[in-house]
Amino acid sequence: MPDSAPRLLLILAMATGVGALSGLFGVGGGVVLVPLLVLLFDYEQHCAQGTSLVALVPPTGLLAFLNYAHAGEVSWTVGLLIMPGVFLGGIAGSRIAQKLSPDGLRRAFAVILFAIGAWQAISSWMK
Amino acid sequence: MHLQAIVLGLVVGILVGFMGVGGGVVLVPAMVYLLHFDQHLAQGTSLFLQLPPLGLGALLMYWRKQQVDLRAGAICALGFFLGGYFGSRVAIGLSSRDLKGYFGIFLMIAAALLWRRKSAKPKAKVAHA
Repeated sequence: MPDSAPRLLLILAMATGVGALSGLFGVGGGVVLVPLLVLLFDYEQHCAQGTSLVALVPPTGLLAFLNYAHAGEVSWTVGLLIMPGVFLGGIAGSRIAQKLSPDGLRRAFAVILFAIGAWQAISSWMK
Repeated sequence: MHLQAIVLGLVVGILVGFMGVGGGVVLVPAMVYLLHFDQHLAQGTSLFLQLPPLGLGALLMYWRKQQVDLRAGAICALGFFLGGYFGSRVAIGLSSRDLKGYFGIFLMIAAALLWRRKSAKPKAKVAHA
């Protein structure tokens, strides 16, 4: 996929907006990044997801984490216990994704995204 | 609680690999509802456990199939870093409840657009036809 400089600049601007959203809502950027790469930049679903995983490799949440750690708002044991599962589960999940066609994966992603969105909306206003 | 945490990690991990996302969007509410963490502790713990590159195993799977745009991904990481700083500063002055709700609506709209989208045709091929 040839990336022209203007296109990469647009992607940088979009990712900065996504980063601002994650700071606002306290969620990871991938859940917003993947649909935007597909809808705005014509990425094929698998490629959008692979690219999103690259963006999540550096510890971009480091500054935010330090604030929470300073305030004593980190459960170290639970965090450490969750880590190995996320790593191993990640490999299993990507194997499942590889078995689906791009369109099948896109629809599956849309269904899960809708469920997460509904969960967010309902849990904020229905209390 | 320890067993729950291990199982939770595995379930969230499958989602991480399947969707190519970080997992925080599911981890935070799961820790609040299942482990009875308060919101701040859940968010701090979620940020902590995402410090190591836990998606690396999943990324290698996509890499093998050449489904990775490395340059665009690196640029997005830079954008996340810059945007995250400004976003968290703006967040302080706003009602988090309404924000979270609007975020949910945004996700639902994005999901509907993704669902309706016609299958991606390789653009280069169309242009050269």
